[in-house]
Amino acid sequence: MQEQLREAAEQARTAIAACQTNNDILNAKARYLGKKSLVNSLYGKLKDIPPEDKPAFGQAINELRAGIEKLLAERELELKDRLQEEQDAAQAQDLSLPGNFRPRGSLHPLTIIRRRIEDIFMGLGFEIAEGPDIDDEFHNFDALNTPPDHPSRNLADTFYLENGCLLRTQTSTVQVRVMEKYPPPIHIISPGRCYRNDKPDPSHSPVFHQLEALVVDKGVSMADLKDTLQNFAQIMFGEDVRSRIRPHFFPFTEPSAEMDISCVSCQGKGCRVCKNSGWLELGGAGMVDPAVFKMLGIDPEIYSGYALGFGVERIAMLKYNIPDMRILFENDVRMLRQFSGEVL
Amino acid sequence: MIISCRWLSRYIELPADLNLLVQTLTFSGIEVEAVKPLPELPAGVVAAKVLSAEPIPGTDHLQVCSVEFGAGEPAQVVCGAPNCKAGMISVLALPGTELPGLTIKTATLRGVESRGMLCSERELGLSDNHAGIIELDASTPAGSSVNEIYELPDTILELEITPNRPDLLGYTGIARDLSASLGKPLRLPPVEHLPGEPSEETALTLVLEDPLKCPRYTARLLDGVNVKESPQWLKTALVKSGLRPINNIVDVTNFVMLELGHPLHAFDYGKLQPLDPSDGHPAVVARQARPEEEFVALDGKNLRLNPGDLVIADGRDASALAGVMGGKDTAISAATTSIVLEAACFQPGSIRATSYKHKLSTDSSYRFERHLSPHYVDLVSDRAVQLFLETAGGKVCNELYDAWPEPLKPRYLAVRPCRFRQLIGYELAGEEIIRYLEALGCEFIQYGAWIDGLIEDTSLIHCHHLEEEKAGKTEFSEIDCVHSLFFRIPPQRVDITREADLLEELARLAGYERIPRKKEAPRIMDRHAFRIRRGIEDWFADASFHETLNYSFCDPAQLADLALEPAETEAKLFRLVNPQSSNQSAMRITLLPQLLDNLRYNLNHGERNLKLMELGKVYLKEGDSQAEYLSFAAVLTGKMDPEHWSAAGKAIDFYQVKGLVEGLLRLLGVQETNTAALERPWLSAGDNLGFYAEDRVIASCGRLKTRVAQNFGIDLTLLKQDIWVIELDVDLLIDLTRGREKIFRELPRHPAVTRDLSFLIKTGVAYAEIAAAIKAVNPDLIRDVSIFDQYLGQQVPEGFRSMSLRIVVQDSEKTLTDERVDQVLASVREMLFRAWQINMR
Ligand SMILES: [Zn+2]
Repeated sequence: MQEQLREAAEQARTAIAACQTNNDILNAKARYLGKKSLVNSLYGKLKDIPPEDKPAFGQAINELRAGIEKLLAERELELKDRLQEEQDAAQAQDLSLPGNFRPRGSLHPLTIIRRRIEDIFMGLGFEIAEGPDIDDEFHNFDALNTPPDHPSRNLADTFYLENGCLLRTQTSTVQVRVMEKYPPPIHIISPGRCYRNDKPDPSHSPVFHQLEALVVDKGVSMADLKDTLQNFAQIMFGEDVRSRIRPHFFPFTEPSAEMDISCVSCQGKGCRVCKNSGWLELGGAGMVDPAVFKMLGIDPEIYSGYALGFGVERIAMLKYNIPDMRILFENDVRMLRQFSGEVL
Repeated sequence: MIISCRWLSRYIELPADLNLLVQTLTFSGIEVEAVKPLPELPAGVVAAKVLSAEPIPGTDHLQVCSVEFGAGEPAQVVCGAPNCKAGMISVLALPGTELPGLTIKTATLRGVESRGMLCSERELGLSDNHAGIIELDASTPAGSSVNEIYELPDTILELEITPNRPDLLGYTGIARDLSASLGKPLRLPPVEHLPGEPSEETALTLVLEDPLKCPRYTARLLDGVNVKESPQWLKTALVKSGLRPINNIVDVTNFVMLELGHPLHAFDYGKLQPLDPSDGHPAVVARQARPEEEFVALDGKNLRLNPGDLVIADGRDASALAGVMGGKDTAISAATTSIVLEAACFQPGSIRATSYKHKLSTDSSYRFERHLSPHYVDLVSDRAVQLFLETAGGKVCNELYDAWPEPLKPRYLAVRPCRFRQLIGYELAGEEIIRYLEALGCEFIQYGAWIDGLIEDTSLIHCHHLEEEKAGKTEFSEIDCVHSLFFRIPPQRVDITREADLLEELARLAGYERIPRKKEAPRIMDRHAFRIRRGIEDWFADASFHETLNYSFCDPAQLADLALEPAETEAKLFRLVNPQSSNQSAMRITLLPQLLDNLRYNLNHGERNLKLMELGKVYLKEGDSQAEYLSFAAVLTGKMDPEHWSAAGKAIDFYQVKGLVEGLLRLLGVQETNTAALERPWLSAGDNLGFYAEDRVIASCGRLKTRVAQNFGIDLTLLKQDIWVIELDVDLLIDLTRGREKIFRELPRHPAVTRDLSFLIKTGVAYAEIAAAIKAVNPDLIRDVSIFDQYLGQQVPEGFRSMSLRIVVQDSEKTLTDERVDQVLASVREMLFRAWQINMR
C-alpha cells in the first residue's frame, strides 16, 4: 500500500513538472485529482482496510492529495510568471534613449568654495560671524592699529561713501566687532565681501571675497596658527599639501606672517603657476597685536590669539584652475553650468 | 536591589531629607529607580490574635473567626485566607479604617457579620504578598502597634547596582559608599568569632575538589537548634526587602545575605551521608556534577546535571547546585536539629553558566555571578552563627572548616593627584584623596615614587622624599615621589585593579558636579540665518537656477530703466566718493538690474532657456545712516524643462513661477501667507503676485514689462519669450522662521474620505476664496480642499468657468459614516449656492 502511494506521488510530480501550458495543468488536475484519478480510487479502497489501519491510511491519502494540489498550484504560478516575462521581453523599448530629468542649476564657484571653507572651519570648532560691508574708519583702520597716515587709507586704495563711511578693505572689521561684543574664548571665521580701489585685471577685482579666522583664548600660540593653516590646507587641497609661514608685516599682528602652501599645480617641483618657487602665497596671518587687544579691553597678559585670512577668489582660482579673476564676475552660464556637477 | 531606609540607617546616619539621600546615591553612581514611601498605618490597624476559626457552612473557604485585638470584647471577623487558623497572631483592620484604596466597614458575608478584616501584606501596602493574611511572631501581644512592629513610616528604595559593583549588593556595602560620599561614620554590625566546642560526635569531612570553580569553602556546624518561625524584627526586615520569611534558619541566611551582600546556605546535618559508610562523619564535597547526575532542587524541580555544573554533595549525592539553589533532600525542616552552614565563594563564570543552563536565577546566583570576594567568607559565617544562636539556640561544634587553597594576597595601588587633574579636570588635594579612599575601606600606606599597576609588596614603594629629608635636603629632585599615594585595596573591591579605577572612585565620590567647564565659549554664529540662506540657495540651484555674483555697486541710470521714480531712489542711494566709473557710482539697492544685464549677456551668447539668481546684500541709505539687507532675486525665461524627445517643452508660465515661491515657503516652513496683486513698476499689471506675512511682502513674482526689458536691451517681441522675476526679502524670511521647531504630528487614526465636486462659477470669483469658504463650513472635519481641474472650453457658457475640487473629510476622533460625510457635503453645496448661486453639475 505504502509503495502504491509513493509511486502515485512520483508519477504526479513528473507529469506536473512537464506541464507547459494552462491546458496541461487542467488535464493534470483532472487526471490526478479528478473522479477517475488514482487518489479517488484509493479513497474507495478505504473500506477494505482493517479498522485499526484506517486512520493512518486515510491520512496518507489526504497528504498525497494535498501534495499534488500544491505542486499544481506552484506550477501554475511558474507558467504565469514565464508568460509575463515573455510578454515583457516582447515589449522592450530602446533603453539607450536619454532619461528625463530637470538638471540641477549651480551655485557660483565662489559660493561653493566659501561653503567648503566654512564647513572646514566649522568642523574645526569655529563659529561664523558676519558684519557690515559699509563700515567706519575706526573698525577698518584705527582699531586694527593702522597709523592715521597709512597709505591704505588713501582714496586710491579705499572706497569712501558720501557720508564719510567706507567700504571695508578686509573682514578684520568683523573681528573687531566680535571682540567688542563678546568675551574670550573666541573661535570665529568671518567670510564676506571686501572692496579695494583696484582696476579689474586677472588677479584683482574692486569687489572680492575674503575669509578671516580669529582665535582668542588663554595659551594660544603660533603653533596653533600653524596647526589651523596645515589642517585647512590639507582638507582643502589634499593630504599631500604642505604649508609654511614667512615673516611679514601687518599693523594688527605681531609677529606677522605670510602663509604659503606647496604648489597645487606642480606639487612643489616648480612650474609656471608658482613661478618656479614651488610655493603659492595663500594669505596673511599673525598673532593679534597687544595694542589691538588693549583697544578692545582684552588683557593681553591673560589672552593671546591669532588671525589668518585669505581671498576666496584666490582659493577658487587655485582649486579650479581659473586663470583670470574677472571670469568669476562675468556670470556666463557656460562657466556657471560647469559647476552644476559639484557635490557640496 | 530593594532597600529599606530604616534598616539602612542602622549602619549609617542618613540625611533627614529624602531627596538629599536620593541625590547623593544617584550622583555617586547608584541609580535610584523608584522611591516608595511606606506611610504610617492608621490607628485602626492592630496586632490581633485569632482565638477561634470555624468554617462557614456552605462556603468552601470562608471562616468565621473570633479575634482578640487588645481592647474590649473579641471581634467577629469573616476571613477567606487559606492560612487563617486559631492561635495565630495576625493584623486586624477595624471598621472605619482607611487602607490604600479600601475602607473597612462592618459587613455581612453569607449571613455572617464581619466587624473588620484580617489583612495581607499587600493590603497594608508592605509588599506584593497576598497569598494569605499576615502571620506575626506568636509572642506579639494582641493590640500591639503595627507601626512599631513594621518600623513605620519607612521608605523603600529600588536601587540599580551596576555589574561592576558586587560590593553594593548588601546594606553594609551601600552604607560604606554613602559613608564615603556623605562623610559620615560607618556603623558595621559587631561580629564576633565564636569558638566551637570540640565534638567528635558532630563533625564533618570537608573536601574541596575544584578550587578553580570554588576558591574558598567554609562550613560551620551547629547542634541543638530549634527550627521555628523567626522573631518579628527578622520577619519585618525580610518583608521590607521583598523576601518572604520561611523559618529562623533560612531567614538568618537571607538576612545576612542582604546585610553583608554574601549569600549563605544551610544544610540539615542529619541528612548528609558520609563518604564511606563505615567511617561515620557526614561529608560535604565541592565537586563537578557527574554525567547525568539527578538533582531535586529546593523548589521541587528535577534537574539533570553534567560536569561543568559545580555541586555541593554529601558522600553520595548532590545536595546543592553550588551558589544557585539548595537541594530538597537536605533542606532545613521543622525536624532539623543540627545544621551545616555553608559560606563559600564561587567562580562567577561557572555560576552564570549553570544558572543560564538550568534557567534558575536566584538572589544567590545573582550575587555570585558578580564576583564576590573570598576574603570575607569567614566573617559572613560568624555573623550568621551569631544570629542562629540568638534566634534558634543550640551550640557551635568544632572550629570553622575552611578550605582555602590560595588565600588572597594584599594588593596595593598608587594614585597620582596630577593624573587626577589631567583626567578629571581639577585639583584634588592629597588629604582629600586619602579621606575618600579610606572611607571606601582603602588603607593609605605612604607617599612614594610612581609604580604602575597592582603590587603585592609594600617594600617596593620607594620614596626619595623621605631619604632626601633624612639627608637634610628641603628641595626634592623627584617630582613623582611626593605626587603618588599608595593604598591597600580592600579585598571586597575586586573591581579596583588600576589607577584608573581609583580615579573613577575619587571623581564619583567628590561629585561630578565639581568638575568645572573648561571653556564657555560665546555662541556667536547665527545658525538659523546660515541654514535659511543655504536653504534658499539650494532650493533654486536644485530648480536649475544658476547663481550669479555681481559687484555691490549699481548704475543709478539703470534704476530709472526699471521705471523707478528718480526722487524715490535718490533718497535711498549711497553714492561713492571715488567710484571707478559712473555705472558703478552708487551702492546697489536692488539685485534686479545686474541680473537683467547677466540675462542679456547670456541671451547675446545664444542661450535661450535661462534661470539666474543672486542672493546678496543691498545697501540702503536710511536718513544719515545706512542699512544692509540680504536680498534675493531671480530672473527666468524660456522653458522650465530642457528639451526632451518624449515631450515638447512648455514655456514658463505664471503658475510655475508661483510654484517656485510656494515650494520655497513650504521648505522654510512659512505658513499662512496671504497673496495679493503687487504694485511694482517693472512688473506687468496682470501677472504679478505678492506674498504677505503680517502685512510685509516676503516674496513676489511676476512678468517683466516689455518696456523694462527693452530698457535693458532685451527685445521681447523679437525673443518671443516672457521674462519672469522672483524677489525675496531674505532678512524677513529669516526673522519670520526664527525659533520655529519641527514638531511631529500624530498620524490620524481614522480614515479620510475623499469627495469630488464639479461646478460652474462666474469668472471673477477667486479659487482661494471658494476653497476658504468650503473649509469654513466645517473646519473640524474638512481637512483639505484642492483643485484638480479647471476648464474654460466650448461647453462652458460665457462669463463662467468649470472647476473640479477635491474635498478631504476626516474626523480625528472616529471613523466617519457615509451619512456624516454626505451631511458635510450637503452643507458645502448649500453654502456654495447661498454665496455664489453655484449648482452642482
Ligand atoms: Zn608650481
